[in-house]
Amino acid sequence: MEPRTVRMIALGFFALALALGALQQAPAEDAKTSYPSMAPLDQYLIADRNAEIALARTAAPSSISRNAKVMVLGPHGYETAADGNNGFVCMVERAWMNPFDSPEFWNPKNRSPICLNPPAARTVLPITLMRTRLVLAGKSKEEVKQSVKAALEKKELPALEAGAMSYMMSKDAYLTDKGGHNMAHLMFYMPLGTVWGANLVDSSNNVSEPFPGSPLLLAPSYKGNPEPIDMFLMETGMWSDGTAAQ
Amino acid sequence: MNPKRFAAIVSMPLALIFILGVAPLGRAQDSGPLYERMAPIDQYLMTDRNTEIAFARTAAPESISRDAEVLVLGRHGYETVVKGKNGWVCVVERSWMAPFDDPEFLNPDQRVPLCLNPPAARTHLPLTIKTTEFAMAGQSKSQMFDSIKAAYDKKELPLPEPGAMCYMMSKQQYFSRKVGNADPHLMFWFPQKDNLSWGAEFPGSPIDVHEYSPQPITEFDISVSKWSDGTPAPVTSGAQ
Repeated sequence: MEPRTVRMIALGFFALALALGALQQAPAEDAKTSYPSMAPLDQYLIADRNAEIALARTAAPSSISRNAKVMVLGPHGYETAADGNNGFVCMVERAWMNPFDSPEFWNPKNRSPICLNPPAARTVLPITLMRTRLVLAGKSKEEVKQSVKAALEKKELPALEAGAMSYMMSKDAYLTDKGGHNMAHLMFYMPLGTVWGANLVDSSNNVSEPFPGSPLLLAPSYKGNPEPIDMFLMETGMWSDGTAAQ
Repeated sequence: MNPKRFAAIVSMPLALIFILGVAPLGRAQDSGPLYERMAPIDQYLMTDRNTEIAFARTAAPESISRDAEVLVLGRHGYETVVKGKNGWVCVVERSWMAPFDDPEFLNPDQRVPLCLNPPAARTHLPLTIKTTEFAMAGQSKSQMFDSIKAAYDKKELPLPEPGAMCYMMSKQQYFSRKVGNADPHLMFWFPQKDNLSWGAEFPGSPIDVHEYSPQPITEFDISVSKWSDGTPAPVTSGAQ
C-alpha cells in the first residue's frame, strides 16, 4: 500500500492528542515547518487508486468499512470508487479540512482516513466535497472560506443532522507533522455551543483546559468559521485493526 | 445505563465501596431468588446525605461536577440538595434505571453516579425522577413499565434533546454482581425514531448501544481510559 508514506489533522489535533498524551513530544524542527500556499496537485494525490481505497477503509473497523461507500481524490474532487450498502462513507481527507487559519492547511503530507456515519455522510460530507472541489479549482483559502460561507447562507449545504459522527481509527493516518502524527479517535458533529465539558484547542496549537480530566476535546475545525459545527473528539485507544494505540 | 459489555472488575471497587459506605452489600436477598421484588426502601437509600452528594459528584471530573446541581434520593424521590451554576446535574441512580429485562433491576446495592449535561438534565433527568417516584411509591416492575410507557405515550416525558449525554466515570460506581463497577464511560442519548447508526456493537467498534423499552431511547456508550479522579481504568474490550 503506497501511503505508508501517508501523513497527517490539524496542528490543533496534535495539540488535542498531546493533551491526551496520545502523541509523543514533537521534535523541535517540526514546529518550523510551514505551508504558505498550495503545493503542486500531484503531491496531494495518491497515485494508486486501490491503495487510497484501502487506506480510506482503515478509518473504521473492517466490520463497518468493508460495506461502506468509498470515495477517492481525483484532480477535480472526490469520486466514488466503491459503492456501499450500510450508509457509511469512507475517504481520505486532505489538509484543507483543517481550520482555515491552521499553519498546516496546505500540508501535502496530510492523509486523514475517515468513515462517516449516515447522518454525517448526508450533512458533513457535502462540506468536505465542496471545500475540496474549490481547492482543486485553484481557489485561494479566503475564496474557499467565502464560498462555503455563502453556500451555508443560501442553504446550498445541508443543515447538520443529529447523530452525525465519524471514525478516525486508522493506524496509517498522517494527521500532523507533529509528534507521532496520529491519534485513534471518534468525532462527533454538534451544533455550535453544545456543552459537553470538553477541553479546548485553537488552531494555533494552544490547549486550554476548562475541564481538566475530561475525555472530550473540542477541535478547532469548523466552529462557526464558517461552518456552524462544533466537532468533538474522543480518543479510542485502539486502532481500527484492534491493536492498542499508544 | 448499559453495562453489558463492560468487563467485570470487581474486587478493588467493592472494597472501595465498603470503605466509602455507599453500598451496603451482602443482604438477605443474596441467598434467595435474586431481586424478584422491591427490597425494603431503606436498602435503596443512603443514610448520609453528604456521602451521597460527594458520591454523585464522582461521576465526572471535579472541574465539571463541583458546579453542578446535586440530587439525592429521599423516601419519595429525588430532592435537590445543592444548587448548581453550570447547568449540569449529578445524581446517584438506582437499579430501576437499568433496562427492564435486567435481572438486577431491583438490586438494592446498585449505585450509579451520573453527571448529566444541560440537554440531558432537561430531557433525560425527568425519566430518572419519574421512574424513581414510581419505584418509591411501591410500584411493581410491571406497573413501572406500564407507567413509563403511558408517560411517554402522553408526552409527559420528553424525548432526548440533541446533544444529551452524561459522564459515568466514578471509580466507586456499582452496577451489579455481574459487572461490578464496569468501567468509566460516557453515554449519549437519542430518540429511537432517529434510527441512528454509529456502527455500535460491530466487531472492533468502541461503541456500545442499547435500545430501551418502553422508553423510546437509543443509548450509545463509549468507554474512557480514566476514572473521574484521573487514575487509569483497567483495560477492557472498549475504548481505552
